[in-house]
Amino acid sequence: MNAVITGSNRGIGNAIMHTFAHNKYNIWACARTPSESFESEINQLSKSCGVSIEPVYFDLADENAVKAGVKQIFSYKKSVDVLVNNAGMGHGGTLMMTPVSKLREVYEINVFAQIHMMQLISRAMTRQQSGSIINICSVGGMEVGKGYIAYGSSKAAMIWLTKAAAKELGEFGIRVNGIAPGLTDTEMGHYKSDEEIQKVFDRTVIKRFGKPEEIAQGALYLASDAAAFITGQILVIDGGRVI
Amino acid sequence: MNNIEKYNKVFMESLGVTEEQLAGLEYTGVDSWDSVGHMNLIACLEEAFDIMMETDDIIDFSSYEKGKEILAEKYDVAF
Ligand SMILES: NC(=O)c1ccc[n+]([C@@H]2O[C@H](COP(=O)([O-])OP(=O)(O)OC[C@H]3O[C@@H](n4cnc5c(N)ncnc54)[C@H](OP(=O)(O)O)[C@@H]3O)[C@@H](O)[C@H]2O)c1
Repeated sequence: MNAVITGSNRGIGNAIMHTFAHNKYNIWACARTPSESFESEINQLSKSCGVSIEPVYFDLADENAVKAGVKQIFSYKKSVDVLVNNAGMGHGGTLMMTPVSKLREVYEINVFAQIHMMQLISRAMTRQQSGSIINICSVGGMEVGKGYIAYGSSKAAMIWLTKAAAKELGEFGIRVNGIAPGLTDTEMGHYKSDEEIQKVFDRTVIKRFGKPEEIAQGALYLASDAAAFITGQILVIDGGRVI
Repeated sequence: MNNIEKYNKVFMESLGVTEEQLAGLEYTGVDSWDSVGHMNLIACLEEAFDIMMETDDIIDFSSYEKGKEILAEKYDVAF
């Protein structure tokens, strides 16, 4: 099986890449910027797991670069079985303190680029009449709180889009699901102040950060045939924050 | 197989139509060319000609003839 994973150089995407490699997936590891340390990491991982891992570099903010990246993926002439739309950006700001330009920037990455990836990759999946798309959403798109106008609404949009895409692409044998992580131990997870983090723990059953590997296990399940009857769902992995 | 033969073959195979039906064939002109058939057709054309079509061109692809025009003008497919 072959998987495309965006934002695979760090955080949750990196954990997904490791988990998928250990489970015998060949991977197109997408990242924004070429780096030697990333390439040596994937070389080692690919050797130790006996799978192929190819780096593909593009900035999700650049539509043409996204197309070139996907073209590169298609040039391998392999089936594209899984797309994990993981890369995303955080942003905190209230309604009055979020300039429209910032809103556009967040939507460009967290929504438009994700749609573009689904449009392009699903064409290969349509030819195959099979595929699984996993969008990394967020409980921030479900729980309505103050101060996350851009991020929260972008993730809410992804939840809706995931369900709509599942309905539209089902005819082509493509399943589309989402994962809504809670606070996860990555750079983005530590974006909130300590006080904000404590407030989240206070309303969560399991009072700790999620591990990126725990999110990755959810992605592995949704990608697999064990989830063959699941589409249009959002798997919440948040330690019991949104119940 | 030359490009027009390839183009016709994709149409016939993905929409299940005969060669005689191709001239003048329009989107929704046959049951099989509905929105689902359209995506299948585009996906197969992309593979056959090794191209990636713009969303605007997928929308404009409204007939057998228009499709030829789009492929020739925008994707360097010589017919
Ligand atoms: N951590 C959490 O608490 C949490 C909770 C809920 C949902 N999520 C979601 O989970 C996903 C992964 O988050 P994370 O926690 O792993 O975040 P992270 O550690 O900040 O990593 C973000 C990843 O996205 C990539 N990225 C961002 N903008 C990009 C662009 N324009 N082009 C290409 N790549 C880009 C980053 O690449 P660079 O290294 O080049 O910046 C990085 O690989 C995101 O969609 C996020 O919204 C996270």
